[in-house]
Amino acid sequence: MPKQEEDRILREWTPILLRSILIAAMIFLVSGLILDYTFAPDYYVDRYREVQQGHLMGREKYALLLGRIRAGNPHAVLTVGLFVLTLVPLARVAFCFILFIRERDYTYVALTAYVLAGLIVGVLVGSVG
Amino acid sequence: MLEILTSLFALSIGAGFIGSISGLGGGVFIVPALVIFAHMPMKVAVGASLISVVATSAGASVAFVRDGWTNLKVAMVLECATVTGAVIGAYLAGVVPTVVLELLFAAMMLQSAYFTITKHGDDILTKGDALAERLELGGEVPDQGGTPIHYEVVKVPQGAALMVVAGLMSGLLGIGSGALKVMAMDYIMHLPLKISSATSNFMIGVTAGAGALVFLARGDVATTIAAPVAIGVTAGALGGSRVLPHLKVESLRIVFVIILVLIATEMGWRALSGI
Repeated sequence: MPKQEEDRILREWTPILLRSILIAAMIFLVSGLILDYTFAPDYYVDRYREVQQGHLMGREKYALLLGRIRAGNPHAVLTVGLFVLTLVPLARVAFCFILFIRERDYTYVALTAYVLAGLIVGVLVGSVG
Repeated sequence: MLEILTSLFALSIGAGFIGSISGLGGGVFIVPALVIFAHMPMKVAVGASLISVVATSAGASVAFVRDGWTNLKVAMVLECATVTGAVIGAYLAGVVPTVVLELLFAAMMLQSAYFTITKHGDDILTKGDALAERLELGGEVPDQGGTPIHYEVVKVPQGAALMVVAGLMSGLLGIGSGALKVMAMDYIMHLPLKISSATSNFMIGVTAGAGALVFLARGDVATTIAAPVAIGVTAGALGGSRVLPHLKVESLRIVFVIILVLIATEMGWRALSGI
C-alpha cells in the first residue's frame, strides 16, 4: 500500500476510532458521577476522605461488575468507564497492527505485535503483582 | 460532593490544557496538583494520572493525527521501548517508597524545564542512517508557508534507549514522559519539533496505557478521583489541541519553565521535609 494511502486511512479512521471510544468512556464516567451525586453523595465524600488517607478498595471482582452495573452501582459504572478509557491505546495499536498487515509490512507487524503483547503483559503483571 | 467535584474538575482541566499545548502530557501537572492541592497520597495521584494521561493523549492525538503530523512508524519502533519500561515501572511503583517517587518526580520536572529552555529550532536532515532508512522512518513536514519538506531520521538505537527510561518514569510516576520522548526524537533522532510533539502525544497514550493497565489490574486506581480527573483532563486536552496550531511555542516556553521549576521545588521540599 502506498504511503499516501496509509496516511489517508490513518487520518480518516484514527480520529473516528479514538472519538468513539472516548465518547463511550465519558458516557460511563459521567453517568457514574451523576448516579453518585443523585443516590450516594455522602458515600462519595466518605470514599474521597478514605482515599486521602491512602485506603484503596483493592482488586475488582470483575465477574460481578455486570450485575452491579445493572443494579445502578455508581462505583461499578465508573470502573467500567476507566477500563473503556484504557481501551483507547489498545485499540489504536490494534488498528495500526491491522493497517501493517494490510500493507504486508511484516517488520512493523512484528513491532506492533510486541507493543500489543506488552500491554497485555501489563494486565497480567498487575493481576499477580 | 459538588465542592469536591468542582475542585477536581478545575485542577484537571487546567492540567490537561497545559499538558497538551506544552507537549509534556497532563501527568506532569495533574500529579503535583492532586498531591499539593487535593492532599492525595502520591500512589493515588500516580494511578489517577496514568488514566488521565491516556485521556490527554487520546484527546490531543485526534487533532494531531488529522493534521498529519504523527509519524506512525517512528511511534511504533519507539513504543516497543516505552511499553517495556512502563510495565516494569508500574510494577516497581507498588514497592518503591513515596519519598523516592517524590524526589524522582522533582528531578523529572527539572529535566523537563531544562529541555524546554534549551530547546532550539529544527535541525532537519535530508539523509538518514542505514537503520532508519531500512525502517522507512523519514517523512514530510510543512514549513511555515505550507510547503512540504522531506526529513530523515538518525540514531534509532540511542533514541530507543532513552525511550526505555521514559517508559520507566511513566510507569513509576504516572507521567507521559513527554519531555524525554520529544528530547529523544528531536535532539537525538533529529525529527522536526512539530513531528516530535505530535508523535510523542501519540506514544504517550500507549506508554501510559501500559502503566494504567498494571495499576487498574492491581486495584490501585481510586475511581472516586480518577473519574472526574479523566473527564476534566480530556476536556482540557481537547481545548489545548484546538489552540496549539495558533500558538507560537517559543513565547510559551518561559511560562512552562517557571511552572516546572515551581513544581520541582515543591515536590522536592515535600520529599525532604517528610510532609
